[in-house]
Amino acid sequence: MTKFRAVVKREYVQRVRSRMFVIVTVGAPLMFALFTVVPVLIAGIKAGGPTRVAVIDETGRMYSRVRDSLKDARAGRGDDDDDDGAPEATNGAMKQDSRGRMEQMAKATASNYEVEEAAAEGRGLAELKARLDERVARDELDAYLVVPADVLERGEVEYHARNLGDIYTRGQVQRAVVGAVRDARLDARGVSAEVMRAINQPVTLRATKAGGGAQEDRGQSFFLVFGVGFVIYLTILMYGQVVLGAVIEEKETRIAEILFSSIRPFTLMAGKLVGVSLVALTQFAIWGLAFFGLGAYFAARGASVAIPQVSLGVYAYVVLFFLMGYFIYATLYALVGSMVTTSQEGSQLAMPIILLLVVGFYLAFPVIRSPNSTFAFWVSLVPFFAPITMLIRIVAQEPPLWQIALSLGLGFGTVAVMLWLAGRVYRVGMLMYGKRATIPEMLKWVRQS
Amino acid sequence: MNEQQPTLRLEGVTKRFGEFTAVDALSLTVSPGRIFGLLGPNGAGKTTTIRMIVGITRPDEGAVRLFGRPLTPELQNRIGYLPEERGLYKRMRVADQLKFFAELKGFTGRGAEEALDRWFEKVKLSDWKRKKASELSKGMQQKIQFIAAVLHDPDLLILDEPFSGLDPVNVELLKDLVLELKSAGKTIIFSTHQMEVAERICDDICLVNRSRKILSGSIREVKSGFGRNSVALRFEGGDGVLEDPALVASIKHHSDDLEALLAPGADAQELLRRLLAAGARVTRFELVEPSLHDIFIEKVGGDEKVEDAV
Repeated sequence: MTKFRAVVKREYVQRVRSRMFVIVTVGAPLMFALFTVVPVLIAGIKAGGPTRVAVIDETGRMYSRVRDSLKDARAGRGDDDDDDGAPEATNGAMKQDSRGRMEQMAKATASNYEVEEAAAEGRGLAELKARLDERVARDELDAYLVVPADVLERGEVEYHARNLGDIYTRGQVQRAVVGAVRDARLDARGVSAEVMRAINQPVTLRATKAGGGAQEDRGQSFFLVFGVGFVIYLTILMYGQVVLGAVIEEKETRIAEILFSSIRPFTLMAGKLVGVSLVALTQFAIWGLAFFGLGAYFAARGASVAIPQVSLGVYAYVVLFFLMGYFIYATLYALVGSMVTTSQEGSQLAMPIILLLVVGFYLAFPVIRSPNSTFAFWVSLVPFFAPITMLIRIVAQEPPLWQIALSLGLGFGTVAVMLWLAGRVYRVGMLMYGKRATIPEMLKWVRQS
Repeated sequence: MNEQQPTLRLEGVTKRFGEFTAVDALSLTVSPGRIFGLLGPNGAGKTTTIRMIVGITRPDEGAVRLFGRPLTPELQNRIGYLPEERGLYKRMRVADQLKFFAELKGFTGRGAEEALDRWFEKVKLSDWKRKKASELSKGMQQKIQFIAAVLHDPDLLILDEPFSGLDPVNVELLKDLVLELKSAGKTIIFSTHQMEVAERICDDICLVNRSRKILSGSIREVKSGFGRNSVALRFEGGDGVLEDPALVASIKHHSDDLEALLAPGADAQELLRRLLAAGARVTRFELVEPSLHDIFIEKVGGDEKVEDAV
């Protein structure tokens, strides 16, 4: 037992004292913020000046409306007066939400329009279009619209652009055109400008959790669910790699030979796994405290921060499911580490493990959408996926206790089996130098007494 | 504990890896306070034997008895082991990792700190205590590894090729430390294929080859069992005498004399008489003990040839 403690202590102290730990502890939340915000900012950047749009107006009346509507898009009320007709498909809470954020970002960054009318001056439509095509080719123009004479009846406008991949511009143009046509239709039916303004008043959907009081949810629930899944996924991956590295180091440097003459291989492996898990929990604790501290700080200053409403029980579940996932995957990593001879080989052989973890992570999306479906139920029982999927179910919509208990039971049962298996491979593998062990060899080691 | 009780006893120890028998029915006895040389060529089964002694692997057959008892974790703590394949945690301070290794042997607290300082001084690395292993030269690392084997004051010390790769100054330093441990009553098992080193420090030896014991005993016994059938010679003239196969089996030329291995049954006096009769001027004529090196070559090299011919 003292030997076990010595191993745990070494792993823990060495890692917590390392520069890497500090970097990850401080850096990971920053990175998380960076990865969620920066891509949006970058995606929203409209490089290279205003978008130049020409309009062929066959009605003779629509040009000014379209122009005003387009110029308005920049001012940021382009989509207030219109509900969704954007070209992107909107499936999944994740997409919906991120799309919303992206559009806000896109609006925040200047994307203004230079609109001109392409006067017919006696030329036919075909000739006019050919001339505009040429100007687009010469980069004098980015896009042009053809508003046909029967636009109010048929509701079709042609959009010719150099870059159809720019979905932000496309979406804005669409909304501008829809708005212009709708206003024109109303006008044609004698609706006054005042009535139009009244009709165009935006509507907001105020979402609260059913039975959860008046606390309004502005997307933080999704972020919490998704965030928890993401953090679990990332930390299991990260600390699994730490275990892999630690095992390979002892094998590569032949320290294992000295260690095995003092301590039973299984005790050593278990000590390593526990030591690293404590490092992870320490990191969680720091993050948790910082999160609460910041929340309290902002709350005290009267800022309305959307701190998600989560019961304490959920935090206990986060720790439990993290530990379960960590021990399942880290044990696999330890097994792989003892089979290989170099860290390069290690990362190759660890690929299937990462794949398994990634599958678990992607299963999170259907589970977030319908946490109580049969699919979610089964997926949250599979030990390799449960740490992410069951946790997401708990945060999203707590399932019956027996399901959680079953998932935990299966998971920790798997941990026990994995530990036994890895222990047997580890004990032989750590002393095999020279070449990577094959799967049949590994199975033979398992059977050896 | 009974003084007469052997420190280590192997009784018919066998270890197989699949079809391959790494150690075949090996028996040997290591007495307390002696330096025991476990000798043999690479791949003879030395390391496998040592691994069974320190408890890394278990023998398939036979028994390992340490201090008269079967191996237990408590007894493991009384062994110090310097493996041939050895390493250190690169990014860990050397003092910290030595303390860790000692802790795994159940040696902690003040005593450990003091012993650590003492040993750092002995190997002249006191200034390097707080450095990381990666900052040390290879020779320094080797001395640190030596400390790892002796820090917890083991009664039985097992050194597998301890001097390989060291410069002569450090070889002398470590050799003196080993002899110092011996005079403090420790038992030392010393595994090597460098016969010159073994000859200088071992009291007893066991020569293994191809998983089997070839010969064992004290150095004196081994040598006398081999017979004094070698002659160191320096002479002028006497042409042709050494070419007689009935007299001389083989000749080794050194810088300024030569060594003649007598043919079986041949007498050294007869050789001297023949040389003088042939008019040689003999300036040196000395019966020499066979070196461990010669014994090794004879026993192992010969065996190799026979096996290869088959």
